Amino acid sequence: MAARAKKAAKIEDDRSSLFDEEFLKKLEYLHMVSRKTFVGQNRADRRMRKIGSGIEFADHRKYSTGDDFRYIDWNVYGRIDKLLLRLFEEEEDLHIYILMDASKSMLIGNPLKLHYAMQMAAALTYVGLANLDRVGIVPFSENLHPHLPVARGKGRIFKVFDFLRGIEAGGPTKLEVATQSFIHRYKRKGLVIVISDFYDPSGFEEGINSLRYNGFEPFVLQIYDEKEVNPSFHGDLTLVDCETGAAKEITVSKSLIEAYKREHEKYCAELSDFCSSKNIPYFRTHTKIAFDELVLTIFRQGGFLK
Amino acid sequence: MNLLAPIATSTIATVAAVLAGLLVIAYILKMRRRHFEVPFSTLWQRVLKEKEATSLWRHLKRLLSLLLLVAIVGLLLVAALEPEFGGAREESRAVVIIVDASASMKTIDEGDEGKDSRLDAAIEQVGLLLDGMSAGDAIMIMRMDGRATPLSRFHGDLAKHRKALSTIKASDTPASLTTSLGAAADALRWRKNPLIILVGDGAYPEDALASATWNGSEETPSSEGTPSFVHKELATVDLEGIDVRYQPVGQATDNVGIISFNVRRYISNKLNYEVFIEIQNFSKEPVTRRLVLFSGDSEINVKELQLAPGQKITKIYPDLGGGDDSVLRAQIETIDDGASDAFALDDEAWALMPENKRQTVLLVSEDNLYMEGALLIFEHLDVDKLTPAEYETALTSGELPTYDAAIYHGYAPENVVPAPTHLLYFKPFGPHSPFPIHGTLERGRITQVSQTHPVTRWLEMDDVNFDVLDTFSVDTSAAEVALFKSIRSPVAAAKKEGRRKVAAFGFGLQGTDIMLRVAFPLLMVNTLDWFAGADSDLITTYTTGRPARVPLDGTYGISEVAVTTPSGAQQKAPLREGYATFFAAEVGVHKLVAMQGGEEVAEIQVAANLSNAFESDIEPSAELLLAGQKLERPVPGTATPRQSLWIYLCLMVLLLLLVEWYTFNRRITV
Repeated sequence: MAARAKKAAKIEDDRSSLFDEEFLKKLEYLHMVSRKTFVGQNRADRRMRKIGSGIEFADHRKYSTGDDFRYIDWNVYGRIDKLLLRLFEEEEDLHIYILMDASKSMLIGNPLKLHYAMQMAAALTYVGLANLDRVGIVPFSENLHPHLPVARGKGRIFKVFDFLRGIEAGGPTKLEVATQSFIHRYKRKGLVIVISDFYDPSGFEEGINSLRYNGFEPFVLQIYDEKEVNPSFHGDLTLVDCETGAAKEITVSKSLIEAYKREHEKYCAELSDFCSSKNIPYFRTHTKIAFDELVLTIFRQGGFLK
Repeated sequence: MNLLAPIATSTIATVAAVLAGLLVIAYILKMRRRHFEVPFSTLWQRVLKEKEATSLWRHLKRLLSLLLLVAIVGLLLVAALEPEFGGAREESRAVVIIVDASASMKTIDEGDEGKDSRLDAAIEQVGLLLDGMSAGDAIMIMRMDGRATPLSRFHGDLAKHRKALSTIKASDTPASLTTSLGAAADALRWRKNPLIILVGDGAYPEDALASATWNGSEETPSSEGTPSFVHKELATVDLEGIDVRYQPVGQATDNVGIISFNVRRYISNKLNYEVFIEIQNFSKEPVTRRLVLFSGDSEINVKELQLAPGQKITKIYPDLGGGDDSVLRAQIETIDDGASDAFALDDEAWALMPENKRQTVLLVSEDNLYMEGALLIFEHLDVDKLTPAEYETALTSGELPTYDAAIYHGYAPENVVPAPTHLLYFKPFGPHSPFPIHGTLERGRITQVSQTHPVTRWLEMDDVNFDVLDTFSVDTSAAEVALFKSIRSPVAAAKKEGRRKVAAFGFGLQGTDIMLRVAFPLLMVNTLDWFAGADSDLITTYTTGRPARVPLDGTYGISEVAVTTPSGAQQKAPLREGYATFFAAEVGVHKLVAMQGGEEVAEIQVAANLSNAFESDIEPSAELLLAGQKLERPVPGTATPRQSLWIYLCLMVLLLLLVEWYTFNRRITV
């Protein structure tokens, strides 16, 4: 029986067909759609909001000793008799970090949540690379796993596939610890797409806030499996937490299932409300929804491509 | 509702306790929960905190599950008690129906056109009795022949009783009424409204009918006139409080039977034998019968007999010598070819006699007129004589033929004739004496003769004189036997070495006057007969229905023998101290074989005959007096419908199992 379970797990975690030809076609399609549909409303390439030595005017600020005289706005000085310095938006390549949950809880579901997350990461990476952005992938669980360094160019997509295939999943989810490590490791600010189920017993707030407080722009993508929301088991049984191993003997009844559904919905709503309150793009999906559909939804709603 | 309680309450209690234990174990095993892996147990814990208040129902569900199991086991136990509807408990009876299946029940009465035996009639009567049983009556069927055999436990399932009845076959043994009544009375002890119904032809001996009591324990007054102890005749059957009824079967029928038959060979002439036979006419008319004696299949004597009503003829046929078979059979036949005997079992009888075998004997001695002369008088002996020197030469050259027995006189050779030749020594001396020589007695006399050993049986040695007697060391722990003793010293001894028998006398024929006494030829006859296994005291004819105790030579260390019955059936019989004990249930010749290590060690044939005048007297008794009390006929009961509930209880168990299965799968029960 153990052998059968092992075999089943092996089949489920088969990553060989994750990034096949069909997948590549879908990526290309997504890229075309992103360019045709959104170019009109958003600038072609997304830029970092950084004040510096660019050519596009951004704002004024008071002159202080030591500032370059060349940027003093003499027109304003002539009108209001105040020394204000002209600020320009500095143009630079966007850094996109995909912080992907590779904890043990991602190995649940059909298809596995991890596989879904990988496909999402690959799709978003491809779109980013195609837009000449720099994209890096950082898997995490209780800490950061080996990462794919930030780089650009569409040609890197196959390295991305190889990297994703080689991710070793396991360990509990500790988002706060992982984000702290991430912040210390990556100094260049950028967009951080957090793909996770957010099943962290210590909560998700601190982890996301850490990114915000350190100048990163979080982008939250929550993945869940339908069976997690609507469990099919009944009766007396022992529930074992797949990450912590904590066991709890319970008697599952219909009312308990209903209560659980409500609790799950409440938890997701908490995450959604948190992201809304912080102006963080938030998307929630289950694994039965095709990844390309989700990517298109993301494109439509904005937040990823500007 | 009645509980037939076919199983003892203590047994039910034990079973209930064991089942309760198993049930608890099964319940605990069932409580083992399935394990489910969840990605985030925190959510479940939050939910459970809210649900703690409703855990009472969860406990109740467990209790409900346990109650279902208890109900299932309880119903099964009640079903085992065989409850029945239809009949008041107080009126229900415990009934033992004793069916006579003894030899006389093989009688085919005249009115039955030669088809049905008395046993068939008895079974039919029992069937009628069963039809009249009331609901709630617990019935046991018991077969009575030489033994009492219950064919069922107490229950009210008439179909099962009828099935048990159909298996009854009449045996060749007399009826053992005392045993059967005792067994029935024991079975009915402590039961309400006990009833014994005896169905048979009443062919029971007077002493069996007298060995019962209706008063139970009788107090015997002491000399002071006050009861001192309770006296109870242990041999009698206590029928106090038990209603005993008798249902006769059979019709008046004539019978002439052999009630005794035996044979023996003459001691002086082993070739001839005499036959003893007793025949009785049990009918009320004079009859003529032809008596034929067979040796094997050969007729050796035919006689016509006239028997008056009730006459018993005792006949001895002397000096019979025909036939070579050791099995003798007596048969009485009707003169008229068309006539038939209603009871054929006692028309034949068997007897066995020691095999009529010539013995070859080797005498190793210097010229010994007395010994040679003594051996010459036995017609069934072939004697060769060799001097010790000739013997040594013949033995060394291998020219010595095989003998049944060898006699060494005044000589104990180092090399004796190979086994199984039996050995007889007169005055052995030297280191090769079969028994170590302990000393000598001058002018000794024999003061003690073993009366149990076949060699010394009937011997009188008081007046025999000896110049010198050698005394032997006899090892009784090795089954060596002292035959003669002078004061306390053995002067003659015997032993068995496997299948070889050895006897030694501490005197020769010189220096004694034993040759002038009757004891000498008798001693030789006894010894040679013992060698040949022709023990003249050996009983080889037994009666059926009694345990037979048969001696088997050379069976030391063997615990059982194989018995082949006349019908060819094989059975085992215990063997203790050289005696096999077996129950002869068939008329005819039985063969007993003792095996050791795959080899046949000993074999004997014994005959078993009915030889029972009470059983041969097949005139049925319409009335029976048991312990002085006339037994009434059974009164048909009021047949009331009976309904066994066990099937419904089992259906309920099935239903409960389905409920349990359904609720378990719906998570209603655990």
